[in-house]
Amino acid sequence: MTVSLGKRFIAEAVGTFILVFFGAGAAAVTLMLAAGTTPSTPFNIGIGALGGLGDWLAIGLAFGIAIAGSIYALGRISGCHINPAVTIALFATRRFAGRDVVPYIVAQLIGAAAASLLFAWAVGSDAVLVGGLGATAPFPGIGYLQAIVIEAVGTFLLMLVIMGSAVDERATPGFAGLAVGLAVAGIITTIGNLTGSSLNPARTFGPYLGDWLLGGQNLWEFFPIYIVGPIVGAVLAAFLYDYLAGE
Amino acid sequence: MKCYICALEGGESEAVAVCIVCGMGLCMEHAIRKDVDVWEGGYPLPSKRVKAPLPRILCPECYAALYGK
Repeated sequence: MTVSLGKRFIAEAVGTFILVFFGAGAAAVTLMLAAGTTPSTPFNIGIGALGGLGDWLAIGLAFGIAIAGSIYALGRISGCHINPAVTIALFATRRFAGRDVVPYIVAQLIGAAAASLLFAWAVGSDAVLVGGLGATAPFPGIGYLQAIVIEAVGTFLLMLVIMGSAVDERATPGFAGLAVGLAVAGIITTIGNLTGSSLNPARTFGPYLGDWLLGGQNLWEFFPIYIVGPIVGAVLAAFLYDYLAGE
Repeated sequence: MKCYICALEGGESEAVAVCIVCGMGLCMEHAIRKDVDVWEGGYPLPSKRVKAPLPRILCPECYAALYGK
């Protein structure tokens, strides 16, 4: 017997709220800090203007620490997927009940949207107009298909770490939150300046909705990148891990 | 094995259980059964409570120490 679906729904929404508020919020704040600086290359849109790759490491750590905290706080209640790609990958490998997939994804989207809207309200219009609420989009020179592949590879690593550090019963207990958080921080450091390193459809949904509703950029044309890439990467990683770890 | 508490009181009775904490032998009268729920699993799947709670036998002293009663 697990905790009721209602409580798990709330836990998923809260976990995703934390992820987007602190993670995407860190990206928005970095852009606001860099406002007015002259980017050194067209590849630089502001994040990286202050500390180079260190800007992305800081954003990655904001995501990673928020994720680790959420996992330790909520992992026993809902599983703390806080990512539709993770939910779908666990369902695809028959670890997660099909009837719970849609409620989990709805909860994640609600949590992400609430985080972006609250962040915009708390920080002010610059959070939308300058920080873009930390929305993700392909960077200059990165095509649509390339962005999908990059997001897939990033989420592949994320899901592989989840499988090896948490799903596998042979994993050392207690380290999954730290391992997953650090993996996310590392992934964001590398691919942040390529696609924004969403790895998570809900993480992109929140800022997109907030920007769209509050007068920021309309970025919905890029949303399929952040649906297809993460889901493909996560599902591939889950199946590959099962194959590698199986007898 | 005899019941330790009965022996302290000057009586004698056969022990039917052992306190899981201190190992004291206990008769039916002095054994306290305190069942515990067991949860298994966790991130990235919700924890599950196993269907039946696990039985756990305590002596009155350990029960009082653990639960303050």
